[in-house]
This record gives sequence, structure tokens and C-alpha cells, in this order.
Amino acid sequence: MGSQHHQDDAVRAASDLVDSYQNGRISRRQFGKGLIGLGIGATAASVIVVACGGSSSKTKATTAAGATENTTAGTPKVGGTLREGYNRDISKLDPITTNWYDPAFSAIYETIVTDDPDGKTVAQFAKSFTVSADGLTYTFEIPEGRVSHSGGVMGAKQIAEVLTTIKEKSFIGGVSTVPMDGYSVDGNNVVLKMKNAWLGALNPHKTGYWGLLNIDTWNKAGGTDPKSTYGTASTDGTGPFTFGEWVPGSHCLVNRWDKYPGSNTPYITNKGKAYLDAIRWNVITEAGQRATQIEGGELDTLIGPSYADLERLKGNKKLTVIQHPEWSGFQLSMNRDYPEYFGDVETRQGLSHAINRQGLVDAILFGNGDATYGPFPKTDRQYEPKVEQFNQFDIAKAKDLLAKAGWTAGSDGVLTRNGKRFEFAAVVEDETVQKLIAEAVTQQFKEVGVVSKFEVVDRAVAFEKESGAGQKAAPMSLFFWLWPVPLDILVIFSSSETIPVPNFSHVKDDKIDAAVAEWRKSGTPDAAQAASSNFQLLWAETLPYIPLMNQYATFVHQNYVKGWQPFVWLLYPVYNDVWMDK
Amino acid sequence: MSRFRRALKNKQLVIGMIIAIVIVVLGIVGPAVFGDYSKQDLLRGHKPVGTPGDFFGTDALGRSLAARATYGIRISLFVAISVTGLAMVVGTIIGLIAGYVKGLVDGVISLLIDFIWGFPLILVAVLAAASIGSGLLPVILAVGLVNTVAIARVVRGEVLGISEKDFVVAAKAGGYSTMRILTKHVAPNVIPVALVLSSYYVAVAIIAEAALSFVGLGAQAPLPSLGQMVSEGRNYMRLNHWESTIPGVIIFAMVLSVSLIGDGLRDLLDPRLRTALERARAK
Repeated sequence: MGSQHHQDDAVRAASDLVDSYQNGRISRRQFGKGLIGLGIGATAASVIVVACGGSSSKTKATTAAGATENTTAGTPKVGGTLREGYNRDISKLDPITTNWYDPAFSAIYETIVTDDPDGKTVAQFAKSFTVSADGLTYTFEIPEGRVSHSGGVMGAKQIAEVLTTIKEKSFIGGVSTVPMDGYSVDGNNVVLKMKNAWLGALNPHKTGYWGLLNIDTWNKAGGTDPKSTYGTASTDGTGPFTFGEWVPGSHCLVNRWDKYPGSNTPYITNKGKAYLDAIRWNVITEAGQRATQIEGGELDTLIGPSYADLERLKGNKKLTVIQHPEWSGFQLSMNRDYPEYFGDVETRQGLSHAINRQGLVDAILFGNGDATYGPFPKTDRQYEPKVEQFNQFDIAKAKDLLAKAGWTAGSDGVLTRNGKRFEFAAVVEDETVQKLIAEAVTQQFKEVGVVSKFEVVDRAVAFEKESGAGQKAAPMSLFFWLWPVPLDILVIFSSSETIPVPNFSHVKDDKIDAAVAEWRKSGTPDAAQAASSNFQLLWAETLPYIPLMNQYATFVHQNYVKGWQPFVWLLYPVYNDVWMDK
Repeated sequence: MSRFRRALKNKQLVIGMIIAIVIVVLGIVGPAVFGDYSKQDLLRGHKPVGTPGDFFGTDALGRSLAARATYGIRISLFVAISVTGLAMVVGTIIGLIAGYVKGLVDGVISLLIDFIWGFPLILVAVLAAASIGSGLLPVILAVGLVNTVAIARVVRGEVLGISEKDFVVAAKAGGYSTMRILTKHVAPNVIPVALVLSSYYVAVAIIAEAALSFVGLGAQAPLPSLGQMVSEGRNYMRLNHWESTIPGVIIFAMVLSVSLIGDGLRDLLDPRLRTALERARAK
């Protein structure tokens, strides 16, 4: 009883604190301190601070899940096409062969499990799931009678087959499932056996790369053959929407699947077919255009407005802005197959100390993000704050480290070592934020005598130039990663198993590999945290990549759009509850 | 009336020259006055015109818009004047040869000219960028090629007419060499046309360089180009429109000045037009 009272008091105090912050009575710093004072951990506090409106703006507060203004209350109206603006080009809609997944994945496909708004793993396609006490067996109960969009049976046998295919053949499956032994069928169940207990076993299953599809359709369309039409001309998932049209660089359209039997996911309130007739994602890569289009009524919802427009959007009474931490980051690869530049740690550290990360956050993201000194965003559950002892902006230290590494300034100020000038080509994707970061970094490197020449190319070419073997990959590339659990992707970026893709830096470091192995053997939260901390500290010190910053996920919707509730644990909204009151 | 006096009385030419002189002076001394175009101050981004310390404002990375715009003028002028100047020389020579020699030579040259003329400038630039990569070089190649062809085409047409004139026929009958006829009798009659045409193509080159840089095929960051500045600034139109307005106004002024100069030169140098104008004034 006493404990219950204590909890009630804490909830009330936290509620008052949030209210004071959102009404501008206390500063962000005071708010953060207050949360920590209530016994909320620093990481959780920072999540809440961001969720409650990261800026000190007096304009309308943002919410973590749009809960107050984007309710599903009222009688849902059926019909209409949701027009959603999207800040990236749309990848091939094939979970197995794509190198990126986009919002359409969560309309077309279901994953076997997913996250709920509290970050708890819940069933999605599966009816239920259990984990054995020793952590070596995961059992997913598969609902009976489910079919794919084409009518193909999606029973336990088919689900086990598709999961096995993903594990063995997908772009990212093999390397992110090393501790997994394999999938088998037991009646209506799919059973995942582990080589060892691993706390991260379910994480990959929640991503778009594990979208469940009809494997027969996928094989018939061409499977892993680059000429396969799966994902470009058709798809065959089990989600509430079916493939309509995919036009890269322009748009993607999905239509309601009238035979959708309803979702097993507890937090999805609509247990039948979707309300919307269709969803169309419009690719808008020009940052300034996104806000203009939603303000002008050309869009109903928007993913990723330009931060330059954010305050204006927050002040628009017809719109609601949702903002929360994002599991993403901007990084610079340093191809170790150019050892003359990046082979020694002092040089990498020197370059890293030359970068004014907070300046980048303030100037480019308008404060809507955090500087990163290690691999993880500050708001991640496993964030290790000790990484902040590394990579701080310090020009004198940068110059000192570069001098220790043997670099001396030539007559034009450019560093030289063994007759080789510190001048190299680099690649960046043709996207507003990334281009600006590249320009800023170029100038910051120039301050310490290093010349980086960034070539701006489209997304596909950037990936191609990052992914070559040896010196076929660019010496440096600036790239952006996005993944629901940072550790899962960052181990893949730096493990020697994944050279050249996606280990763009071609890092072969025994200590990093050992840290990755330690993470893959961690079966308890404490072991996972220890492994994660070790990995982060090693990473921050030895720099397989130079971390720069991460941004906050930002979404905007017209107030007549209901049930569109992106939340912190998923990258994109789910669409079965969405309807339009207009 | 001397040619200089006639020039001073031509309002278009005078206004065009004044604007051009201001722009050229800005391009020459601006970078020295406004400092390093790449110097950034991340805490002073998006400052509007009139900000103390950054009177002409700053861009997203806190770089001086004045320093970048004046350096951008240099790039525009370099591409436009040098490329069009070279195109004028080469195009005039090709046009003279094709129009005067005629026959197979004219046929082959005309075929090539028509072939290249069939491609829009932007497409040629895209093809050049695809083959050798983005940057100023493909822009120079594309603008140079298209301008050369354009000038050669018009000069050839002029030469075809002039070579049938009595004074050319007389020169031929007099036994003068082809070179002498071309340089002493034909060229002086087509150079004014080429010059006027070139002024138009300088304007085309300025716009082409700006347009190609706007779409990312021209000057590459951090090298500032006016088109690229307009492109970068358009993301912040509602926040600080000066980031696009300043380079945009400069592009407008450059094209206007070149167009005015071209019109003025045409009035001044084209003997047929001049005679017609003088007759009209005399009436």
C-alpha cells in the first residue's frame, strides 16, 4: 500500500513537472533535473524531455504519441486516400533484398512480433509468443486460416520457411542472427532455437527486414535475382494494405485489403480491415517543400519536415507536430583500405576532435538532435555516458594528435605524411541535411589542414560507392543510419564479418569483434548492458567511424487525421487505425 | 558622329555597362573585402541582411552571403565570358569556312552543327556530367559546345549571303587569296553579328551555369556558385529569404546587363540596323 502511495505521488509530481515545462514555467534544464530528482534515470529523463518538446519554444507542445490531439475517439469514417509526405526516396518493397525499409512496409507487411508504445514486445502476426526459461527457445503461435494478399496459405510451415529465407538470404539477416540456430515447425507453432541465450533475439524480428511475405510469390518473381520484380511490380504480404504502385523518386501507393482479418497487436484498436481506401506516399526530397505542401493542404500527414520550418508548423492550429527521439545517426566512414589516411588511431582521433558536433546540431538541426561522441544516440536505453570523454571538439588536441601521427603542414597548410598529402575523396547522398553536414565537416577538417572533397550523388550511387571492396569503396562517406535498436545495426557496421557491406570502413579490429561476440552471448539485461557499454567505449576510442550527431524523429499531421500515432519505438506509423474526419 | 559618342548616347548600352562594371568590380574586389567564402560560424546561421557584423547576412552554416555571392560572380563571369569568348572565336571561324568554302566541307559541318543543335543545353550538360562527373568542367564543355555551334550556325548563314555580294565577287575576280577575302572582306561584315550574338550567349551561359549548379551538376560545394546558393537558400525561404534573394538578384542583374549591352552593341555595330536607325532619326 505504502509503495502504491509513493508511486501515485511520483506520478503526480512528474505530471506537475511536465505541465510546468510545457507551459514554459521551468526551463528544459530544470525539467530534466526534476525528472532525475523523481528517480527517473538520466536516459529516460532525456527521452521525456525530448518527448515533451525538445526546444524551449513557447509554441504548442509536442507529444510523444500525439495522444492528446490524435485520438481515435469518435466514430471512425471509412474511405479516403491518405496523402503522406516522405522525406526519402522509396526503396524496393522487398524485405529480403532491400537495403532500407520505408513506411509502406508497415502497411503491406506484418512482422511476427513488434513493440508497443511502452517498448514492450507484443505479438503482431503471431497470436502469442513465449520464451523458455533458459532463453534458448522462442515459440510463436501462428494463427490459423491466415493467407497472404494473393490467397497463399500463411501457416506455421510457410512462416518458418520465410523466416529461414530472411535469415539466410536477406541483406542484413545473416549477420544479425548469428546466435540463432534456426526455425522449425511444431504444430501451429514456429520454434526459434538459439545457439545461446541472447537478449537481442527478437529485435531483428520487429524490423521491416523481417516483414512476412508469401515465399512462393517471392521466388516466382525472381527471389534474390537483381532482376526480380518482387517489391517493384508486386508484393504479397499479410498487412492491411496491398501493393498499388511503386514509382521511385515520385510516389508509392497501397490499397486497402478487404480480406484483412484484423490485427493481433494489442494496441491496435481496429480489429478489422483498415479504414482508409488507400495510402499514397509522396517522395519530397526538397526539405522546404514538405512544410509548404502540408500547410497548403496537399498532404494529410508528413514524415520528416525540415527543422527550419518546425516552429512555424508547431504554431499552425490546423496541424499537430509529433516529435520524439530517433534511433539514428550521422556518421563518417573511414575506409581502412586507405591506411595512409586512416590506418592509425591518432589520425582518426585527430579528425574526430576537429568536429564541432554541437555546432552542427544547432546550425543544421536547429537544436532538434544531440551531438554523439560514441555510436549511440544519447536517448538510447543502453547509452553509455562515459563515451563523452572521447571526441569532444578541441582543435588544439586535434592538431596535436595529427602531429603525433606524423602529419606535418606543407607550405599551403595541408598536412603531409611520407610525401602523401592528407587529401581524399568522399561521398555524400544528395539530401539537404547530409549535404550541409558534409560542407561543414569539410571546413572543419580544413581548419586542421585536411582536405576532404565530397562528391554529392544520389542515394543508390552513394550506397554503391560506399559498398565496394578494398579501394573500390570511397575513402570516406557520410551516411545516415536508422534502426529501432542501435546496437543491432552498429555491431554490423563494425564487425569484420561484414566487410565490405555494411562495414563501409572495412574495420578489422579484434577488440571490436570480441565486443560484438560478447553482446551476442549476453542473455541477461546486466550482461547486455555490460557488453553494450564495452562496445560503445571501444568504438568511441578506436573510431571505426566518426560519430557526428543524431536527430529527433518528427511527424506532422492535419488535425482531421485520426489514429495516426507514430511512437518512439517504431520508425514509422502503423496504419490500420488511421481514418480521416473530413 | 564618332562611334564612342554614339555609344554614349545609347542608353541601353550605358545602363548595361554601368551594371556590368559594378558586377565585375564586385567579383574582383568582393572576396578581398568580404573575406573567406568558406569560413563558417555555426552560431551565426541564417542572419538576415542588416545584421550587425554580417551586414549582408549569413547562410545556414554562418558563412557570409556577401563573400559567397561575390565569389559566385567570379565563377559565373569566368564560365560565361571565357567560354563564350572562345565559342565566338571558334564558332566564327567554323561559320566562315562552312559558308565560304561550301560543298562537302559545308555539308559535313552543317550536319554536325544540326546534330548538336538538336540537343538542349541542359541535356548536353547532363551527358557531360554523366561521363566526367559533376563540376564546372562539364558545364564549361556543354555551354562551350552549344554556344560554338549556335554562333557557327548564324555566321555561316551570314557568310552565305555576303559571299555572293559584288565586293566579294570583285575581290575573287581580282585574284585575292581566300584568306585575304575572308579576313579583309567577309569577316568584318560578320564579326559585329557574332559579337551581338555572343552577348546573348553570355547571358545564356550565365543562366545555364546557374541552372546547372542549381540542380547540382555545376560548381560543387564548398565552392560557391550563384545557382547553388539559390538552391541551398530555397530551403529557408520563410526563415531568411536573403539566402536565395541575394544570389538571385545578382543573376538577374548580370543577365540584364549583358542583354542591354547586346542590344546596345547591335544598334551600334550592325551596319544595316544602324543605317535604318539613322534614316529613321533623320526623318
